[in-house]
Amino acid sequence: MFLLNLSFGEFAALFSVISAGVFALYLLDRSRRRQKVATLKFWRPAESPTQLNQRRKIQQPISLLLQILGIALLLLAIAQLKWGNREQNTRDHVLVMDASAWMGARGASGALLMQTAKSQALAWLKTVPSEDRVMVLRADASATPATRFERNRETIEKTIREMQPGASALQLDQALRFATQFQKLNSQSSGEIVYVGAGRVSTADVAVPNNLRVLAVKTPSENVGLRRMGLRRSASEPDAWEIYVSVRNYGLSSQNVAVGLQFAGSPAGSRTLTLKSSSEQEATFTYRTRAAGAVEAKLLSNDAFPQDDRAVLELPQQKNLRVLVFTNEPDLLRPVLNANPNLTATYESPAAYRPDPKDIDILILDRFAPPQAPKIDAIWIDPPAAQSPIAVASTKANAKLSHWTEDPLLGAGLRTRDLVIDSSATYKAAPGDIVIAESDGAPLMIARPAKPKIAVMGFHPVRSRMKYELATPLLFANTLRWMAPESFRRWQLNGGHVGSVSVKTEGRLDPKAVRVMDENGGAVPFTVDGDNVRFFTSDPGTVRVLTGDRDYVYSLTVPEVGESVWEAPDSVRKGIPRRIPGGPSSQDLWYWLALAALAILATEWFLFGRHRMRVRQGSVSTMPSPQRKAS
Amino acid sequence: MSTEPLIDRLLLEKLERLTLHWQRSFPGLIGGHNTSRFAGAGLEFLDHRNFHVGDDLRAVNWRAFMRLEKLFLKMFQVEPRVPVRLMVDISQSMTTGESNTSKFLFARRLAAAMCYVGLVKLDTITLQPFSNRLHDSFICGGGRHRFMPAGDFLNALQPAEGPSDFLACSKAFIGKYVQRGLLIVISDFLDDQDCLKPLQYLADYGHELLLIQTYAPEDRVPPWKGELDLEDAETGKHLEISFDDNALKQYTAAFDEHTEAIKRLALRNTGRFSGLSTRISVEEAIFGPLAATQGIA
Repeated sequence: MFLLNLSFGEFAALFSVISAGVFALYLLDRSRRRQKVATLKFWRPAESPTQLNQRRKIQQPISLLLQILGIALLLLAIAQLKWGNREQNTRDHVLVMDASAWMGARGASGALLMQTAKSQALAWLKTVPSEDRVMVLRADASATPATRFERNRETIEKTIREMQPGASALQLDQALRFATQFQKLNSQSSGEIVYVGAGRVSTADVAVPNNLRVLAVKTPSENVGLRRMGLRRSASEPDAWEIYVSVRNYGLSSQNVAVGLQFAGSPAGSRTLTLKSSSEQEATFTYRTRAAGAVEAKLLSNDAFPQDDRAVLELPQQKNLRVLVFTNEPDLLRPVLNANPNLTATYESPAAYRPDPKDIDILILDRFAPPQAPKIDAIWIDPPAAQSPIAVASTKANAKLSHWTEDPLLGAGLRTRDLVIDSSATYKAAPGDIVIAESDGAPLMIARPAKPKIAVMGFHPVRSRMKYELATPLLFANTLRWMAPESFRRWQLNGGHVGSVSVKTEGRLDPKAVRVMDENGGAVPFTVDGDNVRFFTSDPGTVRVLTGDRDYVYSLTVPEVGESVWEAPDSVRKGIPRRIPGGPSSQDLWYWLALAALAILATEWFLFGRHRMRVRQGSVSTMPSPQRKAS
Repeated sequence: MSTEPLIDRLLLEKLERLTLHWQRSFPGLIGGHNTSRFAGAGLEFLDHRNFHVGDDLRAVNWRAFMRLEKLFLKMFQVEPRVPVRLMVDISQSMTTGESNTSKFLFARRLAAAMCYVGLVKLDTITLQPFSNRLHDSFICGGGRHRFMPAGDFLNALQPAEGPSDFLACSKAFIGKYVQRGLLIVISDFLDDQDCLKPLQYLADYGHELLLIQTYAPEDRVPPWKGELDLEDAETGKHLEISFDDNALKQYTAAFDEHTEAIKRLALRNTGRFSGLSTRISVEEAIFGPLAATQGIA
């Protein structure tokens, strides 16, 4: 036996207070009321004092007891006294709140769909018996419990009221499976699974549980929104960005939509697209700039869901690598270095050598040894043996270049066949050094990843037979990229929606060389499958994927909208019920208690109240009034 | 003493057009505004009568004599100047009641209003408070600009201690005011003694009575039920009774019977009676029940 609405302590306190009040009123009613009047000559008592005394002694205590008993029973009825164990009488319901991005759209009335959903959820909650527990499940791309199974209605109402639309599309099937599983594992007696939302889902295949109830929120049918936005460097023009914007028509009718592009607030292009129902089109723009800034794609339409009409990506600054070459023969290296558009080379005489020149990233020392070692990264080409930064082992004539390094940066694309160098120095490689080229085990070129970085070539590639090889410009490019990878990093920026993202890279990836970071630099879990990097994020923001020389930036701020609208089958219960019936083992006693209380109060009136009235009437009728006396 | 005036300016403006009326003709009084059945030195023609020796020759209708060769005397209507006395009950019984406006305040407001009406018509008003005796009176006359002292006098009145005694007050009144006139009595007429006999005594002396009974709603229909310990406001006597609906009906019937007896007394002596509940305002009382009795119009 337990009280549903009150604890026993609350019941006892309430009963004590009300009983004391009744007793006080009883005493007050029986006490004489003092009253000052103008004259006493019209006043005559209603009944004799003798009758009053008798009634008070014999009957009034029982009347009081009956009244208090009646009130106690009424209080028990209000407190909803029930038989059995409280836990056995409760049922557990799961309220699946649609918190997908689409719930931020506005309905026909102008109110947010989320607001309508909240109203419906609160209305449903009022129909749930107070002993039942309810869990609120927030459903978007993932299903997240917002509360546990809770009996406290204030907590549940607060959770419902604080629910906000997310940024991803609804995975209803996953949410319903989760709710069903959660009910099985954590509930003794399963109640309803109630879905409240617009039903715009990513996939329309939904396994409907038997105890599902749907509180549908009427949703607008027409919407055109951005799906993706991407930027990458043009392969042909170093200063140009190729920008592509993907637009989808989610509605039922064809739409003409203008897509506008802005860079740093200035118009950068526009297209008009004609989109058929449930179709997607891509608009491509080209924009030339080396400056950093925000590129914004905007749909010039006015629909119910404006959140997916805009996407912004931040363009990084395209920075050139500045190389200072100290050489007496600048024409030898000029063709090699000028082939790279991301590089600016300056040529000076060795006599003008400075160890730390201003605004220079890398030094190239062509066949001379400076009096003071460089303080920045440097490439030494055939330095004098006595002053080489890496110890020279010997000088080898007719050295056959037998092997190039397998380092992914330094050795990328280096291929030669039967190349024989007339004369080359060989070096003593230290631990940690990378041997770029060797001849029968003797290192001809070494890269030392110290600080500053050093690369030493035992021969001059352009002055040897290697000048006819394709490997020559690649050798310089690889060495420079190894020294300053940021300057050669290839950027690719993508705008999309949160959720699961798959990045397709060029070539097979070493998982150790891949890093995935959020905008705060925190690591994002990922998997590498061949040349694909996959990660998942549920929060809107920017995610960087670093794979060697490539940097993929994903700006996941475009809200994801489900492509189809799920319609509940006819077998599913719909709408807000009048009242959800209680659990199978619950036994309501409140109406019996209320009836008993009414019976007791009626008995009290029958035994005492009616008799009292009859006595008064009898005594009044027999008592002469003063006027009668006077007459 | 309250600084708030008993009657506001708006009501005073409305009272300008009213007049205190009486029905009797009081001999030997002239100069007022009320018509009289008595002929005398007036301006309004009343009637003709035959000429008698000693009559004033200036009143002979010489035109009629020329035609008929008989002397007829023109008679003119007297416009008497009747003293108006206003008795205000200030006994403790006037302070009872649970309504917002006490009978005491209501009576003083009503007295002030009637005093103003009389002053406007150039009547002479005597304000006479009473309880178990006649208290200090105040005489005012000469126009509306004399109202302020009268209002201050009424405002300064305080309830008097002791039981009210109509008989003693009536005797004292007759001894104090020999000249007959209009006597307005504002009281609840609720005392332990009989007030009918003293009132009859005043009427028999020749005063025209305008009896105004002010009563609180609780005086007629007490709202209390159950066991009551009643205290007489004037005597301090206690009465413990059990009071119910039937007793209430009897109480109200007795009260109405008492009121009816007072009314009968007034009408029997060519006077007037008005019962006013404090639930209504003074303005409603004057332009409603009092105007209906033609005591003021």
